Amino acid sequence: MTAWIQRLGQAGCNLLVSLGRAGIFLGLSAVGVPSREGWSLWLRQMHFVGVMSLAIVLVSGLFIGMVLALQGYTILVDFGAEQALGQMVALSLLRELAPVVAALLFAGRAGSALTAEIGLMKATEQLSSMEMIGVDPLRRVVAPRLWAGFVSLPLLTVGFSVVGIGGGYLVGVEWLGVFEGSYWGNMQSSVDFLDDVGNGMLKSLVFAWVVTWIAVFQGYDLVPTSEGISRATTRTVVYSSLAVLGLDFVLTALMFGDLG
Amino acid sequence: MKRSKMMEMGVGLFMLAGILGLLFLGLRVSGLSATGIGTADTFNLEANFGNVGGLKPRARVTMAGVTVGRVSSIELDTEWYDARVVLELDGRLEGQLSRDTTAAILTAGLLGEQYVGLTVGGDPETLQAGDTLHDTQSALVLEELIQQFVSNMATN
Amino acid sequence: MTETPFVVVEGLRFSRGETEIFRGLDLSIPRGKITAIMGPSGTGKTTLLKLIGGQLVPDAGRVVIDGQDVHALSRRALFRLRRRMGMLFQSGALFSDLDVYENVAFPLRVHTDLPDAMVRDVVLMKLQAVGLRNARHLKTSELSGGMARRVALARAMALDPELILYDEPFVGQDPISMGVLVQLIKHINQALGLTAVVVSHDIKETLSIADYVYVIADGKVMAHGTPASLDVDQDARVRQFVHGEPDGPVPFHYPGREYHADILATGGRR
Repeated sequence: MTAWIQRLGQAGCNLLVSLGRAGIFLGLSAVGVPSREGWSLWLRQMHFVGVMSLAIVLVSGLFIGMVLALQGYTILVDFGAEQALGQMVALSLLRELAPVVAALLFAGRAGSALTAEIGLMKATEQLSSMEMIGVDPLRRVVAPRLWAGFVSLPLLTVGFSVVGIGGGYLVGVEWLGVFEGSYWGNMQSSVDFLDDVGNGMLKSLVFAWVVTWIAVFQGYDLVPTSEGISRATTRTVVYSSLAVLGLDFVLTALMFGDLG
Repeated sequence: MKRSKMMEMGVGLFMLAGILGLLFLGLRVSGLSATGIGTADTFNLEANFGNVGGLKPRARVTMAGVTVGRVSSIELDTEWYDARVVLELDGRLEGQLSRDTTAAILTAGLLGEQYVGLTVGGDPETLQAGDTLHDTQSALVLEELIQQFVSNMATN
Repeated sequence: MTETPFVVVEGLRFSRGETEIFRGLDLSIPRGKITAIMGPSGTGKTTLLKLIGGQLVPDAGRVVIDGQDVHALSRRALFRLRRRMGMLFQSGALFSDLDVYENVAFPLRVHTDLPDAMVRDVVLMKLQAVGLRNARHLKTSELSGGMARRVALARAMALDPELILYDEPFVGQDPISMGVLVQLIKHINQALGLTAVVVSHDIKETLSIADYVYVIADGKVMAHGTPASLDVDQDARVRQFVHGEPDGPVPFHYPGREYHADILATGGRR
């Protein structure tokens, strides 16, 4: 029994230590004056992290919007309320699905790649040699990736919402025959820019920080062997998915909880 | 060199698309133009209701089914102990509504949200900003309806 | 050696987890000479270089480079000190997203404001020194191991450092590129008069270029002296290492049960 409690305490201490390390790591990398050089490094990472994730995020957004419209229609039509389809699709996308699903896809597509890339640089001693040349790898390697992630995910989330609402329009209006005016009109009267779009973007910003942070930290902190890299990549996806879903509940409760 | 130009273009387009998307969400999805630009040119009317039921701030205000404004606040009037609802209406209606305009809290469909419906009367004098509507019809509360129905049955 | 040594290591202790790697290590590395640090694999030679470069922090003791205590420096001062050092990593550690030219130009670009034409001159000069001037457009993935190490050497020299640390420069090289590297290290040292530390367990090659040798084992300096004096050292452990004898004080067999007893043990256990 005492051994069990001791193990628990040990696990707690380890958790605290690694959280502290991750925090110091974030502080050292994210803070700093960006140079002209840093700008072009950031641009490269924006391409790698953002533009390359665009396809998967947009395609998923389209399908999710279409499915939402289809499922929503079959439920709403029972109440004779299929006019509210636009409202339903837009609100579920903006408040919930776009930030969360885009963050999950981002963790899988860009997060794991970031971990593997930084991990490989560590395993091949590139980070060490950069340090010995007198260049801080946190600034040079980690910071551009962090900032690219922070900027990309909110943009991807916007894309997801827009394409999803378009997908809902295709299915709801073009196929199932909901009146076009009521699709957009109901949407406009029920969606508030600050409450719905704004809060969704806020969520997405938080997710962007968390996912990118986890990804680059796992890459920087891994055991530099091939097994270590594969484990860290898995951990990135698992941890960031859990963090996104858990934080989503907390944020939803804070943002929309008092409406109920 | 050529590759980095392509990359810059890609990132630029990506960010532009994001901003355009946000604009789309603002204008087309949340209809910012209708209420957003309208806020520059609105006027307020007050209306006292005995019971607002499930009316919420931001609910629509309609006239003949056309949206002409929104509810900006709901609070308790401690003088009469009823609800004072502030309506924010389209500026073009200022000085156009007759003094005996009535306000009613209506429900959109069976399960829909509640909104305020205005009906103009025949008084030649008109309402100005800050005036109060006196002729109002409260929200229907199901329990009260049933009570009424039961007591009617009993007296019959 | 009346001059003050360039690098001094005093009472260095370092452990990784439960295992103690260094138990009070003392070294002094003379200015302008090639000093070899040798020892069997697993004695923490690479760790020692990382301690000298300030990438690891010792449990006790200190490392002084040219009068500065490496581990007492601020992060900023440490990075400034590292500009005066070059390190050649075992794998070369070239940046995989840059080509050969950009790899060598990297230290110049981040630490100097030289115009592009001047950077080009310096890079070509350094690549010429390692014989890879015409390979400058290759990607790092197209280089052989020996070539990668030579490019890394050119990169380590780009800023004309005062100290170069070589981590196992000869490991896994064919005889030709090994010979090339040996010549390069010797030549560079003589031409530029810089201080070099070579960590290796390739005895013949290392002894041929070193001016002074430290042999470390069990976390301490076991012997030190010039290559000639080590060659005739009477200490059994030194002799075993220097002459590459398979058995001796460092046993051939992993410690455990007696062979005889193990064979005769019954019961079919593994």
